[in-house]
Amino acid sequence: MAELTVRYFAAAAEATGTEQETVELPEPALLGALQDLLVERYGDPMRRILRSGSFLVGGVVRRDRDHPVSGTVDVLPPFAGG
Amino acid sequence: MADPSRYSRQLILPGFGEGGQAALERSRVLVIGAGGLGCHVLPQLAAMGVGTIGVVDDDLVEASNLHRQTLYTPADVGAPKAARAAARVRELNPEASVHVHLDRLSAANALELFDGYDLVIDGSDNFPTRYLVDDSAALSGIPSVWGAVHRYGGQAGVSWASRGPSYRDLFPQPPEPGTVPSCAEAGVLPSVCAVIGGLLVSETVKLVTGIGEPLLGRVVAYDARAGSVRELAYGRDPDAAPVTALIDYDEFCGPAPAPRETDASTMTPSADETPDEITPEALAAARADGEQVQLVDVREPWEAEIASLDGAVLIPLGQLPQRWQELDPSAPTVVMCHGGVRSAQGRDILRSLDFELVTSLAGGIDAWSRRVDASVPRY
Repeated sequence: MAELTVRYFAAAAEATGTEQETVELPEPALLGALQDLLVERYGDPMRRILRSGSFLVGGVVRRDRDHPVSGTVDVLPPFAGG
Repeated sequence: MADPSRYSRQLILPGFGEGGQAALERSRVLVIGAGGLGCHVLPQLAAMGVGTIGVVDDDLVEASNLHRQTLYTPADVGAPKAARAAARVRELNPEASVHVHLDRLSAANALELFDGYDLVIDGSDNFPTRYLVDDSAALSGIPSVWGAVHRYGGQAGVSWASRGPSYRDLFPQPPEPGTVPSCAEAGVLPSVCAVIGGLLVSETVKLVTGIGEPLLGRVVAYDARAGSVRELAYGRDPDAAPVTALIDYDEFCGPAPAPRETDASTMTPSADETPDEITPEALAAARADGEQVQLVDVREPWEAEIASLDGAVLIPLGQLPQRWQELDPSAPTVVMCHGGVRSAQGRDILRSLDFELVTSLAGGIDAWSRRVDASVPRY
């Protein structure tokens, strides 16, 4: 199992009710598997965040579901209010 | 320089001094948006001696702005924001040269406008403008200090494509239309504008004077409810295409066709043909023709007290998954809210419950008031 630190910002923290958690994924740990797990766990609000927000793996934005994940993953939804 | 004592409390700051003050006075800073962020940024820039300040905004002051946009008074409602903001800021510091740009920032005017400035502060209120500002700053070679607010939280960072990661490296794709509500839809705590506005000014002063470490490649995220300030460090997006020219940002940011779950075995042909949205004009015409439309208002009761449409059934969005049985699943149904974001979610909920003909009122009751019936109050 791969152990990840997932940090949630803004609407992602609202959807999960936490700012950070540890998530275990079976090897090989891929971004798509993490996203599927989060949707399973947190439902529609997380599905919306997948459609709008950025997933940063080790501080680099990743869009490919087949990208490996390790270490820290940041989930950051954008917003545009001024 | 004006009365030297005016700036004495910043002149004595370590590392600031007359050199820092002179750099501020030489600097030319363009502020995009004279809204919740702009109203906190502009007076600070002027008061501390930034020499040239530009204000870009094509909006008028509305009553709903006054709780957070504290450059404006009730007497300013209906007046152009940029002009009123500039007038207030000139009073704060007559030494500042303040330029008003009442045109909407667009791909046609952005590069020429940016050419006259050393730095841009992005406090705009929509994604097309944010990508336009970031690309224009990249092409102009100047830094963009950006901030955004939403409900109880805010984000701020520095985007400078020639020196480090940019906004596009953090958010390569705009969010799908309808997935991120605006301030008008979601609300915003005024003090969050002050916190994020303050960060924008700090970053601007740092970049202009060379003091400290700019928020380049970092985002600060503030959450008022948690009382937390967190930092997220990021690098360049390895898959990003270089910015070589401005594009059509309205097209870039949608509206894209909403993805529909297509399951041929369960979907009726008529449901497949129902568009995702209906315009206020089309709904008004249908009602005028006597068509029986089930109108579902997914706003909160306090909103319906301010303004509502005849015949609408009020079921707040959060209660829709429990209370949908109060509705007729076979009737043509229009879901409405204030601006069209919650109603799109309500439409998707009802569609998932096998309502056959469901659409969402584009622009919500606000668009209805602006385009169909001005007697419906706006809020």
